[in-house]
Amino acid sequence: MSRSVWKGPFVDAYVLKKAEKSRESGRNEVIKIWSRRSTILPQFVGLTFGVYNGQKHIPVNVSEDMIGQKFGEYAPTRTYYGHAADKKAKRK
Amino acid sequence: MSETVCVGAIAGSFGVRGEVRLKSFCAEPEAIATYGPLSSEDGKASWAVTLARPVKGGFAARLTGVTTKEAADTLRGVRLYAPRDRLPALPDDEFYHADLIDLAVFDTGGVEIGRVRAVLNHGAGDLLEIQVPGQKAPVLLPFTREVVPTVDLGAGRLVADPPEGLME
Repeated sequence: MSRSVWKGPFVDAYVLKKAEKSRESGRNEVIKIWSRRSTILPQFVGLTFGVYNGQKHIPVNVSEDMIGQKFGEYAPTRTYYGHAADKKAKRK
Repeated sequence: MSETVCVGAIAGSFGVRGEVRLKSFCAEPEAIATYGPLSSEDGKASWAVTLARPVKGGFAARLTGVTTKEAADTLRGVRLYAPRDRLPALPDDEFYHADLIDLAVFDTGGVEIGRVRAVLNHGAGDLLEIQVPGQKAPVLLPFTREVVPTVDLGAGRLVADPPEGLME
């Protein structure tokens, strides 16, 4: 069952504060957060968050198509390496 | 840069007519047949691969010179390697994971940070996992032009400019 619209998206208050502070400072930094349950808001686009996965902070560059998702979706708690084979990485 | 890339493995025989069950590690599993002939890890044996049909856990495939179930059974567990130069050329700013892994990582001051251990993607762009000497936990770097401005495959190095708080 989806969340009621009248409540608005859930975001931990400290995430909003940290994001605002980082945006004001204009520094290139990773915003470390532990709140995997917070929703990604439009004002987070362009910032880099370090989302805790229970072990370390996974860097997450927020882009427009991630709005509305939760931070935890981009920081899996289990790692599977697999084989490199012919897999490709694109530098953005 | 390694000269061969592991693209698959033989999981055992399939049926009684000399076919093998082939596991593909490629991004597009069917692409394994296009990189043939594939060789064993030591390079002493090589086989041309023909995919017959998809089966549970991979493909049923025919290897040249393997005509009986007994011969196919002996190949169980063999990893298949393709020459690196068989992989198609990529456009600028696109790299094979196999090329990036094991590159030395330097900071903008020329000090070596570590080596690339793996390339990960959790949905928010590619990440380079860097093993830093003397540090137990690896460091993750976003694979972007700002953070990794230089990738020099020829020299086996890349230059990173990690944002604040990432190397802690």
